[in-house]
Amino acid sequence: MSLLEARGISHTYPGDVRALTGLDLKIEAGRRLAILGANGSGKTTLLLHLNGTLKPKAGQVLLDGQPMRYDSDSLISWRRRVGLVLQNADDQLFAPTVGEDVSFGPLNLGLDEAETRRRVDSALAALHISHLSDRSTHMLSFGQKKRVAIAGLVAMQPEILLLDEPTAGLDHQGTEDLLAVLGGLERSKTTLVFTTHDVELAYRFADDVALFDNGVTIAEGEIAEVLANDDLVRRARLATPFLLKIGLRARDLGLLGPNDPLPRTDDAALELLSRAESPA
Amino acid sequence: MSHIDTSANLNRWRKKSLLEKSLLSFGMLLIAVSVPSWQAALVVAAIMIGATLICARVVPGVWWKAFTAPLSFLAIGAITLAFQVDSSLHVSLAPGGLELAGRLGARALAGVSCLLFLALTTPAADFVAGLRKIGVPSEIAEMALLMYRFLFLLTDTAEAMNAAQTARLGHVTYGRHMKSLSLLIANLMPRAFARARSLEVGLAARGWRGELKVLSPVRKASALNLGIIVALELLVLAIGLWSR
Repeated sequence: MSLLEARGISHTYPGDVRALTGLDLKIEAGRRLAILGANGSGKTTLLLHLNGTLKPKAGQVLLDGQPMRYDSDSLISWRRRVGLVLQNADDQLFAPTVGEDVSFGPLNLGLDEAETRRRVDSALAALHISHLSDRSTHMLSFGQKKRVAIAGLVAMQPEILLLDEPTAGLDHQGTEDLLAVLGGLERSKTTLVFTTHDVELAYRFADDVALFDNGVTIAEGEIAEVLANDDLVRRARLATPFLLKIGLRARDLGLLGPNDPLPRTDDAALELLSRAESPA
Repeated sequence: MSHIDTSANLNRWRKKSLLEKSLLSFGMLLIAVSVPSWQAALVVAAIMIGATLICARVVPGVWWKAFTAPLSFLAIGAITLAFQVDSSLHVSLAPGGLELAGRLGARALAGVSCLLFLALTTPAADFVAGLRKIGVPSEIAEMALLMYRFLFLLTDTAEAMNAAQTARLGHVTYGRHMKSLSLLIANLMPRAFARARSLEVGLAARGWRGELKVLSPVRKASALNLGIIVALELLVLAIGLWSR
């Protein structure tokens, strides 16, 4: 049974704009899932359904196999387990200082002051921003705001963390740092789901992928398997990750056995190359 | 506005308790306006300016910039006291006018320096926490908090739109400038609404149920500091009463 599942959900925005048209998606516990799709393919709309912000016009969302309800008590227990980080951090930060903003979620969980303080401290430490605790939120840089926004959800310790385009607008180093930090969250058993249109990034970071096009999932599964299918990738208006191309080519050339793992980092790919250079 | 906020967030006394700072500021203010001695007012001004610039290390340029706004009011008030106009529209020094103007000037300077001390050393977050502590209804404190936060977002957006309009020559003539300005203001409105809606989604994701509870940083007032402040104020009060 999947931890969280969308079953045939449809959503239409005012003006008859169809965002989702009978979409299915399964989120498995403990796997990193990348939701890959071009701009306007319905990624954000899906995330808003997965934490109950939007109610589907048709279909249902299931948590632990139970169909979700939309009364306020159900929504609260839903969001306790499924956290959502918006793409624009400024849409999320409202308190004057970083520490105060991060404390908002834990206090809403009904935690006492001491526990809240502990959660805030550990969330800030997990995102490597403990030094910003007293800083004004409006004086932060773009990357710092992003981390504070994520810390605000991490402090609530959800089982699933949904991130909408977490690396959009970040520079190279900022992206690397953020991915490292997110990878560290898994030790606390958080299942990560993130949307992106960056196939390279998804390939390096995710275990599974869901490919989106026109409001439906066109493929779902282990990321290397799905992205190796050119037709699917083209249909989703995306491109095959370069690292994956190298790995597949290495397999064709016999540098990798058919069951050897494909390189997932630049270093692993370079190591393959050096193997090609040295006489076997 | 934003240089006051920057100073409030970056000065050396940023983390001092609001109780200590407001006792110093309002205590001195009370002395300056209630004791008629102008010497005491000057002592108050000197202490408060010293505390702001030397102890809290507020940049003098920032202090001066914040001071120039009330300065014009102060100057107009003092100058009109110093002169008199008779029925034939003859302007002359008023009898005792200079002294009166000097007294008013000294007290106004003291008052302004007390308020500037508080404004330039205290982050807005501390004020909001203080409001809650003295029993202001949480709805009002929350409104203040949100307005403070969104003031910066709104000015950022307006600045970006203005830059975009300028890049497309939207401000080259007076006529175009006025038209661009009106478009900018009209566009800020729907953006503010869209932003409010997104914020609602973001807050709901974190379990918002209508109350914006946050854990404010604890800034403990030290008994020693409070004692020093009271002693200093008694000293200034004594100077004021003695020099009358």
